[in-house]
Parts: sequence; C-alpha cells; structure tokens
Amino acid sequence: MKLVAVVLPVAAILAGTAPLTAQAGAQHDISGYWELPIDGRFVPSARLSPRVTPAMIQAEARKTAKAIRWCNWVGMPTTMDVGRPLNIRQGAREIVIMAESPVAPVRHLYLNRKTHIDKDTFDPTTSGDSIAHWEGDTLVVDTTGFEPTKGITEIPGGGFRTASSHLVERYRLLKNGTMLSVKFTWTDPSVFQTPHSYEFRYQRVEKGYEPWPYQLCDPFDQERAAFLDQPR
Amino acid sequence: MNARRIVIAAVLLAALIGSGGTAVGQQPAPAGVPDLSGGWLRLDSGSGSFDGTVAKHPPAELTAAGRSMVVAGDGRNVIPQGGFKGPAKRAGEAYIVNNGACTPEGTGGSAINPNSTAIFLLQSKDEVLMVREGPGGRRFYMDGRAHPDLAKLPPSMYGHSTGRYEGNALIVETVGLTEGNVQGGGKRRPETRLTERFELAPDGKRLTITYTWDDPVLYVRPFTYQYFFERLPEDSYAFETWCDASDPLQRQSIVPPKQQ
Repeated sequence: MKLVAVVLPVAAILAGTAPLTAQAGAQHDISGYWELPIDGRFVPSARLSPRVTPAMIQAEARKTAKAIRWCNWVGMPTTMDVGRPLNIRQGAREIVIMAESPVAPVRHLYLNRKTHIDKDTFDPTTSGDSIAHWEGDTLVVDTTGFEPTKGITEIPGGGFRTASSHLVERYRLLKNGTMLSVKFTWTDPSVFQTPHSYEFRYQRVEKGYEPWPYQLCDPFDQERAAFLDQPR
Repeated sequence: MNARRIVIAAVLLAALIGSGGTAVGQQPAPAGVPDLSGGWLRLDSGSGSFDGTVAKHPPAELTAAGRSMVVAGDGRNVIPQGGFKGPAKRAGEAYIVNNGACTPEGTGGSAINPNSTAIFLLQSKDEVLMVREGPGGRRFYMDGRAHPDLAKLPPSMYGHSTGRYEGNALIVETVGLTEGNVQGGGKRRPETRLTERFELAPDGKRLTITYTWDDPVLYVRPFTYQYFFERLPEDSYAFETWCDASDPLQRQSIVPPKQQ
C-alpha cells in the first residue's frame, strides 16, 4: 500500500501525465445499462423565484408540447428519464451517456478538462457543456451552457432551464454496484429561490442486455399528430 | 522499502502509462488494442467532395436482383417526387430537398455513412460506442456474442454490430440494417453483411475505415471502399446538430453561388 502511494505519483510525473491522485475514485466504473424504475424518483417541489410568473410556466409547457410534437431533441434534464435504459460508458477522456431514444442527444461528460468551454466559443446546446471529475467514490458532473429555447426545458419538481442555469450531478454506485444514484442540483437565481435538488436511482440492467431497435419519431405521422394536437 | 525500489517501480509504471496506456483505474480500451477513442473528422481525400471520395473506388457491381431492388426507405428524408428533374436552379435559389423529418443523424444523415459531422468513438471493455452530434449511436458488442436470428431482429438504421480487435485494427460486422442505398451505387438489405475495418495510422492521428458490403444476392462480388479521418484535438468537444421538423427551412437547400 505504501509502495503504491509513493510510486504512483512519481510514475505519473515521469510519464508526463497528471498525478494519479488527481484521478482518485476513477477505479469506480459506472459503465453499463441503467433503467429508472417507477420507485426510483425522489423529486421535491422546487421553490420558485417570485419572478417566475404563471405565464412563464405556461410558455415553458407550450415549449415542451412543441418539442414533443415535432420530435425535437429534448436535451437535459429529460435525457436522463426517457422511459428506457441509459447506456453509460466510461472511457479515459470522457463518459458518454446514450439514452435509448431517437430524440435524446448523446451526453458527453468530459474527464480531460477542468474548465468549461469559453462562453464566447461555446454555442449553447440542449445538453450543455459537461465536465466531470471524481471525488472519492462520487462522480461529480458540472454543466453550464444550456440552450433556453430548444427541446424540453422543464425540470422535474418545477422550474425550467435557462441560459444561466447551472447543473451539478453527483453519481454514486450503491448496493454493490447494482444501483446508481444520481443527485441533480439546479442553481439559477432567475428561476429558483434556493438550489433545487432531486435524486434518481437507476437499477443496473442484467448483463447481456441489448437495446431493441426503437421506432423513429415521425412528426408527419397523421394519427400521432391528431393525438398530440387535441385541444388541452 | 528503499529509494532504489521506488525509483525502479516508478520508472516501470511510467513506461507503461507513457506507452499509450491510460491512467490506472479508468475504463479505457483493453490493454494492447489501438486507441481509437476520441473525435474524428472525415476527410474528402482531395477529391473535392465526399461523393468523389467513393468515386475513386470501382463502383458496386450489382446482380440482376440487386439492380432491380427498389429501395423504399422509411418514407422520410426522401427526395420529393419530381425533385431534381425540373429546370436547373439558379445560383442562390432555394429548393425543397426532403420532407424535413429529423433522424437521429439530422435530415438526410446516415448512421453508417459519416458525413461532415464528426464521429466520436469510445472504447469500453464490453462495448465500443460510435456516436455523432445528435441522439442515438452505434454499439459494437465486444464480448464475443453472436448476431441474433435475423428472423427475430427488426431491421434498424444501426443494425446489430459485433466487434473484435485484430492487431492494430478494430473489425466490426453488422447485419440487420434497414433496406437502403449504399455509397458508390450499392444497396443493402437486412441480410447484407457490412464489415468495417478501423485502422489507426502509426502516429495515431489518422483513421482509415474500410467498408466491405457482402451479399451474394445483391452483389456480384463484395463491394469495398475506404473513408479517411483525422483525429480532432484532445480538447475538442461534440457540437449539437439541431433539427426541427416544424421549421420549413429545414426542407430546403440552396444552389450555391459560383465560387470565384
């Protein structure tokens, strides 16, 4: 143990890499298929800022309806709850999250940089710019750079993402690696009085699982359109 | 433990890490395999266009059955009836090119045929992912499993892919693709077998994918062509290819003005 503690940092310096201590916790591997069961959501109501008016909430709901109707990319936070398993793969440079959905963009959680892309360079997206690092046994993912007008902007528990939203996710394996807890915390003074947190607990899907080919979302399917376009 | 032992152990470990391996504990590709993970951008190889790249290779030789096969597609992103048959468009003139529906690859995109949008590879122990800049992506199963019975596998835009490493190459075999056209005049159906050979250049900065389509019903002989890619810088990141089917402009293209 002592040998490892001394040798690893020295070796890292000699190899020209970051000290391995900076990657503490990387021995945890969250790769696999994860599904969100019906009892896997703990979502308190958000404390919304007084500046959030009913008209603003209705406008966000219309945005959601439009995104669903026209098969727009949904983005965060909906990507993490599409009703089918998430495929999470952990690599050396990044972690990729691929939802089984034709409308949920792939998420890239970058392990190889510590700062966000400069605002002057990054074009906001529905998934935002995510950087990640390990803190002990917890993967901490920090996301900014959200696109406020595209996709499903509504956040579980109330509120919605804006250009100034800041999301921190904490991923941790539970129950011998059979469960993955993800705690989401949204901070955005223009929407929330206090940071809004909720937790999803995903179950590991059995080994050998294969996603079944899903139906593509077809905005020109007339039966689908008639269903979604009904007066509400 | 003395200082000499520490130095020797550190040097050995440094050599291991510095030889292209990745940090201890992370989940990279298994040791001894090419490091394909990262972003890759397709090159046009000097032909002036992506179609031209394929034109450098002998075209597909189809059987009579292959020539007579009518590709119905899924009815989306198809050229509208009469499209491209009217009088030539003027420079700057907009015209309708497809019905505007979005696939996970964007309008007119293809999961198998990379265009100017970057591809991103991620190698993990059990799977290699190949994703683009939108939803979905390809999964290459690396655990030795076989393809499922095609009679029970619904055809899909990604098909069913298994992979293995052979020396410095990743070999991927895919079946179960939806009916469709293939570059260079080829065609495909669920039974058609696509073999892709991902080969990394010695400097790690270039990637060649050799595509081979094999189907004795459709092809006189296996149809092969290559695409070439360059590695994106380490600090690059994926964009998001936006597509909105409610936007009429999504259906249009425009005749580019003459270049000076």
